[in-house]
Amino acid sequence: MSYEWDFAVVFQNYDLLLLGLINTLNVTGVSLLFGIPLGLFVALLRLADSKWVSRSAGIFIEFFRSTPPLVQLFWIFFVLPILFDIAIDPYSASIIAFSIQSSAFFAEVFRAGLISIDRGQWEAGYAIGMTRKQVLRRVTLPQAVKRMIPAFLERIIELMKTTTLVSAISYSDLLFQANDIAQQTYRPLEVFSVVAAMYFFVLWPTSVAARGLERRLAVSGESTAA
Amino acid sequence: MYNWDFGIVFSNWNVLGIGLLNTIKLAALCLVTGLSLGLLVGIARYSKRKIFNWPASIFVEVFRNTPVLVQIMWFFFALPILLQTQINAFSAAFLGLTMNTIAFSSEIFRGGIQSIAPGQWEAGKALGMTYVQQMQRVILPQAISRMIPAFTNRGVELVKMTTLASVIAFGELLHQAKTISTIYFNPIETYTVVALIFFVLIYPGTLLVRKLEKRADQ
Repeated sequence: MSYEWDFAVVFQNYDLLLLGLINTLNVTGVSLLFGIPLGLFVALLRLADSKWVSRSAGIFIEFFRSTPPLVQLFWIFFVLPILFDIAIDPYSASIIAFSIQSSAFFAEVFRAGLISIDRGQWEAGYAIGMTRKQVLRRVTLPQAVKRMIPAFLERIIELMKTTTLVSAISYSDLLFQANDIAQQTYRPLEVFSVVAAMYFFVLWPTSVAARGLERRLAVSGESTAA
Repeated sequence: MYNWDFGIVFSNWNVLGIGLLNTIKLAALCLVTGLSLGLLVGIARYSKRKIFNWPASIFVEVFRNTPVLVQIMWFFFALPILLQTQINAFSAAFLGLTMNTIAFSSEIFRGGIQSIAPGQWEAGKALGMTYVQQMQRVILPQAISRMIPAFTNRGVELVKMTTLASVIAFGELLHQAKTISTIYFNPIETYTVVALIFFVLIYPGTLLVRKLEKRADQ
């Protein structure tokens, strides 16, 4: 007996899926908005002269890189509200978890980018009387950012894949909507296949772009992507 | 002020213990299977023949560019309908995580093989070796030592990804924690202990990757 495919139920619920996709992009985008500046901040702390500051930043990075993102999300969603006696909805918990988690990874990207810049660039800046902040903003960071773009895109792809975890705390992202529709229509095969394809068509072009950029920067010897 | 009480968590150590064993079992099985099959897919990706290259490339792109949780859900909810059989949570998680590991590790194999100078192939050929012999005796032994940091990193990622199996109710560590915290209403202590267990499990791997990478750079 062969299975009779029926994609009609998927298309009838296109508005629910679209809402899910928008929510997925929303969580990804807002987490990046907080995660990238926070990552730069942590990277600067990590590179600070004070051993104490540098080491604390190191512990922060190691902790969030070495625990599963789903455990972090659960901890923030279930533990934080009791600990501080506040209410946290699934959306806020997701934003907090992924901003912090991605900042730990972005910090490593920023650090690798910054230490790849020749020392002479710093010295040249100091020699013409710039402060540390000025050299960073006008000389070294602009050069480092260009090299970091492929690694950034890769992190963004990883982050968007990671946002599917929010479905586990009932935030209605694309995967959560898919699960909902699948349960109502008894058509998991069609629904999950279409949703997998939706993720693919958002992530794949980003992947191709990241690889293209990496190749171009590798030719000019400027990539820091590991 | 919240009154911390770790007593309940520790008196349920056997529940967490089962979870930890399941986590390790799932990760180890997926890593071994994923790396072995990843080698085959990597060689197919490296091949210039379209009949090997194209299917391998499509496989790798699909599994690298979709979220692993979607893959696990697909294997758990969708595949049973297609095959008209039952698939339990462990098998679905195993399939999803293994496919994912194959896709990522095949790229590591391909990169490693590509990094070996063409002269090595030619030297093998000059000695009358076949393709398989060149690969097995000359290329892979050199390539694999360069790939070890990347493989260790895959292992770290894999352990983190096993937590996703809790979503389809496989009794790994996080799922066991969820069970305890639902029964005793003590998410604070349970999730904190579980976060620490994962850290202790994963951090040595992270450290090892860094050490290996540093050595490779020199």
